[in-house]
Amino acid sequence: MEDNKTPEVYRKSSTHEKRALTRREFIMKLAIGGGSLVLLAGCGAKVTSVFDTGSGKQIYSFIAVDYSKCTGCRTCEAVCTAYNNPLFRDGRYKSDLGNPVHANIRVHSFNPDVDVPVTCARCDDIPCVNSCPVKPDPVTNRRALYQSGKYDLITNDTDRCIGCGNCVSACADSSVGILSQNPATNKPMRMCTLCGGDPKCLEHCPYEALSVLRVDTAYPYYRMSPEDIAEKLNKRWYNLNV
Amino acid sequence: MKDNFFGYHKVLLDINLTTKEIKTVPIPREDIENFLGGRGLGMKLIWDRLKKPGIGALSPENPLMFMPGPFSGFPIPSASRVVVVTKSPCTSPENKSLTSSSTVSYSNMGGFFGPEIRFAGYDGILISGKAKHPSYIVIEDNRVEIRDARAYWGMKTDEFDKAIVKQLNNERFQTCYIGPAGENLVSYACILHTTARAAGRGVGAVMGSKNLKAIAVKGTGMPHIADHKKFSIALKKVRDTSTGPVDGIKTDLFRKWGTAAFLQTLSDDGLMAVKNYREGTYSEIEKINAKTAREKAWVRDFACYCCPLACKKSGAVKDGPHKTIVHDGPEYETGTMFGANLMISDFNGMMKAIYDGDDLGMDIISAGNVIGFFMEAYEKGLVTKTDLDGLDLIWGNVDSVIKFISKIAYRDGIGDLAANGVKAVSQKIGQGSDAFAIHVKGLELAAHNIHANPPRALSYSVSNRGACHLCGDTISDQNFMAAVDSLGICFFATDFNKVLMPGVDKNLLGELLTAITGIDWDEDRFIKVGERVFNLEKMFNFREGFRREDDNLPDRFFAEPYTKGEEKGALLNKEDFNAMMDEFYVKRKWDPVTTKPTNKKLSELGLGFTI
Ligand code: SF4
Ligand code: SF4
Ligand code: SF4
Repeated sequence: MEDNKTPEVYRKSSTHEKRALTRREFIMKLAIGGGSLVLLAGCGAKVTSVFDTGSGKQIYSFIAVDYSKCTGCRTCEAVCTAYNNPLFRDGRYKSDLGNPVHANIRVHSFNPDVDVPVTCARCDDIPCVNSCPVKPDPVTNRRALYQSGKYDLITNDTDRCIGCGNCVSACADSSVGILSQNPATNKPMRMCTLCGGDPKCLEHCPYEALSVLRVDTAYPYYRMSPEDIAEKLNKRWYNLNV
Repeated sequence: MKDNFFGYHKVLLDINLTTKEIKTVPIPREDIENFLGGRGLGMKLIWDRLKKPGIGALSPENPLMFMPGPFSGFPIPSASRVVVVTKSPCTSPENKSLTSSSTVSYSNMGGFFGPEIRFAGYDGILISGKAKHPSYIVIEDNRVEIRDARAYWGMKTDEFDKAIVKQLNNERFQTCYIGPAGENLVSYACILHTTARAAGRGVGAVMGSKNLKAIAVKGTGMPHIADHKKFSIALKKVRDTSTGPVDGIKTDLFRKWGTAAFLQTLSDDGLMAVKNYREGTYSEIEKINAKTAREKAWVRDFACYCCPLACKKSGAVKDGPHKTIVHDGPEYETGTMFGANLMISDFNGMMKAIYDGDDLGMDIISAGNVIGFFMEAYEKGLVTKTDLDGLDLIWGNVDSVIKFISKIAYRDGIGDLAANGVKAVSQKIGQGSDAFAIHVKGLELAAHNIHANPPRALSYSVSNRGACHLCGDTISDQNFMAAVDSLGICFFATDFNKVLMPGVDKNLLGELLTAITGIDWDEDRFIKVGERVFNLEKMFNFREGFRREDDNLPDRFFAEPYTKGEEKGALLNKEDFNAMMDEFYVKRKWDPVTTKPTNKKLSELGLGFTI
């Protein structure tokens, strides 16, 4: 059996210390001891985009999963969908009512018991965006799939999107394969929003399995498909080649 | 508006496999207010469907129900449960006036199936009738189809679990299914989900009798709730309390060891089923306890839907003849029934037995109990090696046990008798063997021994599905458990053991239920549901002919004291037991002679319709 230890890259992650701390203190605490962690501000604190100052090249943040801690409980799916895609809303109260199938994080379950949550890897070469056949808008230079906002999130302009599914195939072919076509509109869904800087999945994962990390291609399962990740985990945990 | 309540779809999916009629049936508000969901609502439905006693559990009329509860589908910690409710194929009363009398059966299973039923738009699924040939049901929101399962009939559960994902080409389906044991109507067959989560206690045989291999469900919806603000507040409280303090004893115990933690402690305390319940302490428990499991097999902790406790463990057998088996376990029940109760200390062999039991689809509690009985009968010379098809079924012989398990599932040779449960086996063997046939009403006792535990003895005796370790040892616990089982939440999330296992209390459960439904619930009203459910179950059993003589325990517990361990010499006292039972009936407002609930009690609980 290979070692089943937590890789160094997960040094800090969501933690139950939050129970004793306010959310703000929690984020501060993580930020102070952050190391490779890039934290997105919550609680109204000022948010700055994340740059690799050395090269000037833009590097994004993404939700990374520590598969040795994940239990497959799908709390992340439930809270992601409640925040980002609730089925019913009631005034200013977030409804907590979403169906996990609409979540931007997706837990793939396998037999033998392996659960593989995946979410957008924030690829630096944005294959999804580059595959979009819609002609860039002359003013904004945006296709129907583009990056926007302070986190340069993958965003779909549903008015201009033709529902061709190219982005979905591109994501599957050269990255995680998180995107899928909305069954009703054919337009892409499951683009992680980082929840406006306060990731719900990370906050509620009961097992501290999730982190916000600066993209690092050396990350052990980076941009791998859930099936490939499951294969690796099967080997590592059960010494199986499935 | 009076009919304005929330948290439910207010419909049941009703599938008749004989006529292939598929319809949705409205659930009246009254039933929801009185029975909530899960075990409670299932009980009300079976009462309504089976209008007279003596209808065979394996007959097409017997409804097989999959009942989530009002918490199911919401991101509430540990709200993962579904209760399978049906008439039991395991139990029978002493009174033989009706040939097919039996109790109700309800079996509670975690995972993802219960929430998914609610996502698909139903508060429950009821299956009746019998398909002409092996079939399975696929439910995708409001599209419901009965499909041909002939190609899958005979398939073991692990293989089927993989095959069905391929067949449906979508891993978001949640499925539950039976194995060969259910197909062959082994009375204690179970229904499995994700290959290791099981609804046991006989419900698999009912599914098999309907020629139903599997149900797959997937949905995109969600029920509305009444008050979002109240819900968010109550949900936060539940999230903060359901685990107890993180890194406290409760989370630590479940996450690190699961229920297997109790293998060591209950053996130490003399409360474990050992050597067919002859002893309460197993001298070789260290070889199969949680620590050993962690060292030898476990690599991963896993959890049911939205559950922060992760009591399940999966692992691989790493050496010896059973190498490459990947499975979950042992848990307390499986580790005791296929370990200590059979004097098996070979950890890898036990893992293989547990894997096979699940793979073939049988209730490991009952199977371990039946095999323990055979081992004792063999030791006593009541059955011979020839009777056992040549198996040398001595204590601890794990290889014979593994072969025996397979014989049961396929009803091969002696397995054909063993498949009928320990009560039937001892009746066949006779020679006074009923003294050590460890069942109540025909359902085998679980892994908790009772020589030194009179409250648990009471609980086994009066439990409405036959011997049950989850019934509750006191009247208030029983009512609490019946109410919790009607919500769709796992009792591990509650404060069922206030001292060691703090958690969500009944008050907060009521608060959450109020926010979801818009109907006012407080703890009294909530607990009243539990009492109502328990009494309706009792009335169902009473109508089937169960009386005081059926609330009885095998002689072993009154006659043969433990010979070793912390509780050496412990024994139940018949007079004390009878006095305790008398007191129970009186407190319940049941007639101590017949066990019938008084009309006054029934009316007070709104069960006047049973009188
Ligand atoms: S909430 Fe955490 S433990 Fe649960 S499935 Fe998601 S990542 Fe895994
Ligand atoms: S290709 Fe997929 S994973 Fe990569 S940025 Fe696009 S959506 Fe995210
Ligand atoms: S950060 Fe937010 S949008 Fe992204 S996966 Fe987590 S919960 Fe979903």
